[in-house]
Amino acid sequence: MWWGGRGQSFNIAPQKEEPEMGSVQENRMPEPRSRQPSSCLASRCLPGEQILAWAPGVRKGLEPELSGTLICTNFRVTFQPCGWQWNQDTPLNSEYDFALVNIGRLEAVSGLSRVQLLRPGSLHKFIPEEILIHGRDFRLLRVGFEAGGLEPQAFQVTMAIVQARAQSNQAQQYSGITLSKAGQGSGSRKPPIPLMETAEDWETERKKQAARGWRVSTVNERFDVATSLPRYFWVPNRILDSEVRRAYGHFHQGRGPRLSWHHPGGSDLLRCGGFYTASDPNKEDIRAVELMLQAGHSDVVLVDTMDELPSLADVQLAHLRLRALCLPDSSVAEDKWLSALEGTRWLDYVRACLRKASDISVLVTSRVRSVILQERGDRDLNGLLSSLVQLLSAPEARTLFGFQSLVQREWVAAGHPFLTRLGGTGASEEAPVFLLFLDCVWQLLQQFPADFEFSEFFLLALHDSVRVPDTLTFLRNTPWERGKQSGQLNSYTQVYTPGYSQPPAGNSFNLQLSVWDWDLRYSNAQILQFQNPGYDPEHCPDSWLPRPQPSFMVPGPPSSVWLFSRGALTPLNQLCPWRDSPSLLAVSSRWLPRPAISSESLADQEWGLPSHWGACPLPPGLLLPGYLGPQIRLWRRCYLRGRPEVQMGLSALTVSGLQDELSHLQELLRKWTPRISPEDHSKKRDPHTILNPTEIAGILKGRAEGDLG
Amino acid sequence: MLGKGVVGGGGGTKAPKPSFVSYVRPEEIHTNEKEVTEKEVTLHLLPGEQLLCEASTVLKYVQEDSCQHGVYGRLVCTDFKIAFLGDDESALDNDETQFKNKVIGENDITLHCVDQIYGVFDEKKKTLFGQLKKYPEKLIIHCKDLRVFQFCLRYTKEEEVKRIVSGIIHHTQAPKLLKRLFLFSYATAAQNNTVTDPKNHTVMFDTLKDWCWELERTKGNMKYKAVSVNEGYKVCERLPAYFVVPTPLPEENVQRFQGHGIPIWCWSCHNGSALLKMSALPKEQDDGILQIQKSFLDGIYKTIHRPPYEVVKTEDLSSNFLSLQEIQTAYSKFKQLFLIDNSTEFWDTDIKWFSLLESSSWLDIIRRCLKKAIEITECMEAQNMNVLLLEENASDLCCLISSLVQLMMDPHCRTRIGFQSLIQKEWVMGGHCFLDRCNHLRQNDKEEVPVFLLFLDCVWQLVHQHPPAFEFTETYLTVLSDSLYIPIFSTFFFNSPHQKDTNMHQRQLSLPLTQSKSSPKRGFFREETDHLIKNLLGKRISKLINSSDELQDNFREFYDSWHSKSTDYHGLLLPHIEGPEIKVWAQRYLRWIPEAQILGGGQVATMSKLLEMMEEVQSLQEKIDERHHSQQAPQAEGPCLLRNSARLSSLFPFALLQRHSSKPVLPTSGWKALGDEDDLAKREDEFVDLGDV
Repeated sequence: MWWGGRGQSFNIAPQKEEPEMGSVQENRMPEPRSRQPSSCLASRCLPGEQILAWAPGVRKGLEPELSGTLICTNFRVTFQPCGWQWNQDTPLNSEYDFALVNIGRLEAVSGLSRVQLLRPGSLHKFIPEEILIHGRDFRLLRVGFEAGGLEPQAFQVTMAIVQARAQSNQAQQYSGITLSKAGQGSGSRKPPIPLMETAEDWETERKKQAARGWRVSTVNERFDVATSLPRYFWVPNRILDSEVRRAYGHFHQGRGPRLSWHHPGGSDLLRCGGFYTASDPNKEDIRAVELMLQAGHSDVVLVDTMDELPSLADVQLAHLRLRALCLPDSSVAEDKWLSALEGTRWLDYVRACLRKASDISVLVTSRVRSVILQERGDRDLNGLLSSLVQLLSAPEARTLFGFQSLVQREWVAAGHPFLTRLGGTGASEEAPVFLLFLDCVWQLLQQFPADFEFSEFFLLALHDSVRVPDTLTFLRNTPWERGKQSGQLNSYTQVYTPGYSQPPAGNSFNLQLSVWDWDLRYSNAQILQFQNPGYDPEHCPDSWLPRPQPSFMVPGPPSSVWLFSRGALTPLNQLCPWRDSPSLLAVSSRWLPRPAISSESLADQEWGLPSHWGACPLPPGLLLPGYLGPQIRLWRRCYLRGRPEVQMGLSALTVSGLQDELSHLQELLRKWTPRISPEDHSKKRDPHTILNPTEIAGILKGRAEGDLG
Repeated sequence: MLGKGVVGGGGGTKAPKPSFVSYVRPEEIHTNEKEVTEKEVTLHLLPGEQLLCEASTVLKYVQEDSCQHGVYGRLVCTDFKIAFLGDDESALDNDETQFKNKVIGENDITLHCVDQIYGVFDEKKKTLFGQLKKYPEKLIIHCKDLRVFQFCLRYTKEEEVKRIVSGIIHHTQAPKLLKRLFLFSYATAAQNNTVTDPKNHTVMFDTLKDWCWELERTKGNMKYKAVSVNEGYKVCERLPAYFVVPTPLPEENVQRFQGHGIPIWCWSCHNGSALLKMSALPKEQDDGILQIQKSFLDGIYKTIHRPPYEVVKTEDLSSNFLSLQEIQTAYSKFKQLFLIDNSTEFWDTDIKWFSLLESSSWLDIIRRCLKKAIEITECMEAQNMNVLLLEENASDLCCLISSLVQLMMDPHCRTRIGFQSLIQKEWVMGGHCFLDRCNHLRQNDKEEVPVFLLFLDCVWQLVHQHPPAFEFTETYLTVLSDSLYIPIFSTFFFNSPHQKDTNMHQRQLSLPLTQSKSSPKRGFFREETDHLIKNLLGKRISKLINSSDELQDNFREFYDSWHSKSTDYHGLLLPHIEGPEIKVWAQRYLRWIPEAQILGGGQVATMSKLLEMMEEVQSLQEKIDERHHSQQAPQAEGPCLLRNSARLSSLFPFALLQRHSSKPVLPTSGWKALGDEDDLAKREDEFVDLGDV
């Protein structure tokens, strides 16, 4: 049946049952009424979720219109199309789920008048004919209510939404879905992505990165160094846990320097919080801090993360403006659109992030050194920059698996306060840093369409997942809270066991689902679209073999210490601020456009050479993004979803044309080759699903050759 | 390095501020001069091309970030182009030669491509024209294809400077006679032997047969007829020798006002409604003449209002629509955003990119054109009305709007051949004054209006929004736009077919649109790149437009309802015209700006992948066919394209010509093996080892 498609996040073509819709529609209309919805829908509820009101309605604004039920619970508003329960194997609906916190604006339409609903009670003399829910994630749901005796229900559900939304501002402790609730099999299941909650995960990842000078520290196993830090992290080999504990005390909120990523060329990317200037460390502590920052390199670059990047308030303001601009009824004239877009500054911020990330990748790649990202809180832009740097320099991070692990490691485990930043705990510290990151990734995807294994749809799915209350991934502020919650849910979980080393099977901890369990909310056809068909295996990690690097520890103080700021390196006398002068980073730098930067790119400084060598290739694996005005684009498929008249992106069209041809070929082959060998059978799929063309080509080739031979 | 000098400080952290001044030390020049003499770079001349003047020891600046580098060489001016000879051609690798332009080299500027010439006197930039009293130390040339060249003349002998500067200014800026166009010397010298391929050829619309064929194709032959009343340009010189008018129209009417006031057929829709154009009658003061004009027009209108003709809607393009003046102003503002003398300038505009773009209102003009075309499409498609376009000469906006309408409604026009035929029909035969609008003769700057470029930009928006609907790609459009300034093709160098016929006697001349040079691309790149230009995915478009039974009486409804349905690429095609949807034709406008380059990225990254998949599909197809027919067909090797070029830049295929990219290109030495481990720790420069060891 048809759901999604134009105007929605996915590109799924209507399937064969689609024509039936029209005829079925009328028959099914009374159905939800006759049934007791709470009983049939209850099984789809999250733990602790209650249905407050429901009414039959018709989704409008897109072709074809879709009839179903609009349900309001204490967590979310959801629209369930008729027949959806029978055809989808996903327990949750991804297209029409609006978490209460996600509702940005609510409008009711009656006749020609349109009322914006703010408070309960503003609806007294008004039976809505249609309700418009504007999501803060730029989605729009228009549901029309049928006339004919159902007005009270429509009224009720509208009131319920208004009320529930007003109450949802208090932080709700969503508990997430547990495995049993999701109706999945028994507990012997590994999470699709390492959640970085066990020491093994960290050790595996460390080995994968070949970071030989580093070890997994268990010092924070009980979250007593910092609740916002993960239980495990990487510290230099030679530093003792006791030294780590002492050194971390001199950083803001105990977030001392840790390894983020080890470049196969030998450089290390570190992140840490600001120096805690009030503390008075002794000589040994300072030495420990310095050793950790130095990480055995003679060349150390301290990057002031906040410099040239927007503040949290800036990000929030830009996002609000962008949302206002992208509303379907925004009053901006067509010919003023560009300056209005510029006025939101959102693209400027995207640009600033890309520029800085590109600079840092150059720093990490050009020489073997230690590069430290330092942000006061170490929980927002540090994560953004370190993830972007890894995306730019490590082909591994550009795979689906790699990207999800990256987000899990640098954002979820590293303690990005998702709940606060996404407005879950009130508006005061709201700032969609993660969404800014996703926009940056989308820009990279646009610029390097062949270098990413995942597609725009995947990014959209991730974008839409941040406020959905089904998993804990994005609904907690710290790893500690996340662990506490899962501990409560599963009373016998050994959350606080030191040396956590049980096999995954039988460990109830693993029953906790994460956002990476995509089959919770997305159908197989949708998940197939997460793959970028244009991903070119020529650039894939296989061909990129990291060369083992000598782990040379340089004894003594580093020979050169630099501060990277305003796109330039300035020498620093010392790494730590406590010795005599106040911290350089204590001075908060506001985001300003770099004055006529340009004339000198960092790469030129770093590699400072005459430019006559002609176009020789970049080192394999490194991407350098464009960040000029004309190159940074608006993520239309995401931000303009609410506008029915703006057609969704066109990126996949050429490829889908080829896919058509491939499936046609496949059809032909199948006709002539009725006998299908067992190995082919395993790869055979439903003809209606969107196929990954590379695979098809592979299959076809294999078959054709087999037949010929 | 031969013939190359490096100017300014190295790329250290304290590089000097960029400026127009060069700081070459005399001894540097001295050594370089010697080297220059050792090497002879030959000037390639086209048949009929003559060297006019030259100057040696000219320093060509290479756009760079931090400091200004230059290459020494000879600057020559011929009657076809300005060329700089300095680069060692043999240094080009295979890929570069493969995609090299066959006519215009990297450092060649055709005389018609020159837009503005500036001289720098004591660090002040001044426009150069006419007789000069003082000669500049630096020459900056802005090209119409948006390249910018900077030549330093400080080390050139004084007489040579005088000769070359005045030569260049004279040959590019001074008004010229039509007869002096290089086109003619080329045509006489290059007696091309034309091989006509009867299939697959562009319809030229220079015979009665071509028009009849078009009438038949669009099923317009019931109500319209091709007439040969203007054969030999007896009636007027503005109109082509053959054209199409409503069947009942008496031929003597055409002669009354030299073809003015006559509804001329452009195209017929599947539902029978037609697009017509009419040039306005001359403005007269005399009441008597006005009376005659009125009754004449009444007669005309009576003819086309009567059944079988549909209701006629008249669109007056000269009063209620864009003015040519507006287009000219907008484009001259717009192009300044891309004509960049140095990177600092570029970065200054970068911060306010969107508002600058908006203030040029070029994109808004594109939107208005597309909107007008949609309105007309709505009238024809939904309301079944005839539309009569009215313009003073019916040769500017008429051409633009009618071509756009046909492109949206007629899938045939979205094939490459169909598109070329469309340009031939509406623009070349439609009498668009290419000579004046491109100002090829430099006779009147006010007449220079980029109407055709505006059209190509509108088409680009359509191609960009609906790539699978077109057989050609944006690269095709970019190359087509470049061929406006290459005077070996006669297509875009005349004001009317009459002017061309009376001036060109060699009919066998290479035209970009004729069968002998079936695509301008073919003239530009080698044949192997054919795939890139021709969109392989655009399938054979042969179906007729699906008939739509809805009748909407309103543009918005028509537009919305079309966009809310899934697109049929073989049917009616409408562009999006909302604010966020009209974009900058980045390939054309940004291709020469090294900062805008994305190494290993951009569209071409997926393109090569797609081509690879296409090859695979093709080979599978062959295997299937072979199996199916149980025949042994010879294995056709698919063209091996782009295989060996590992990572192309986003500016491909133009970027390969842009050899001096400023984006961090790593030093080859930096990626060499680093020696053994012990050395490594001691070395001050720890370059990361990622090279092939």
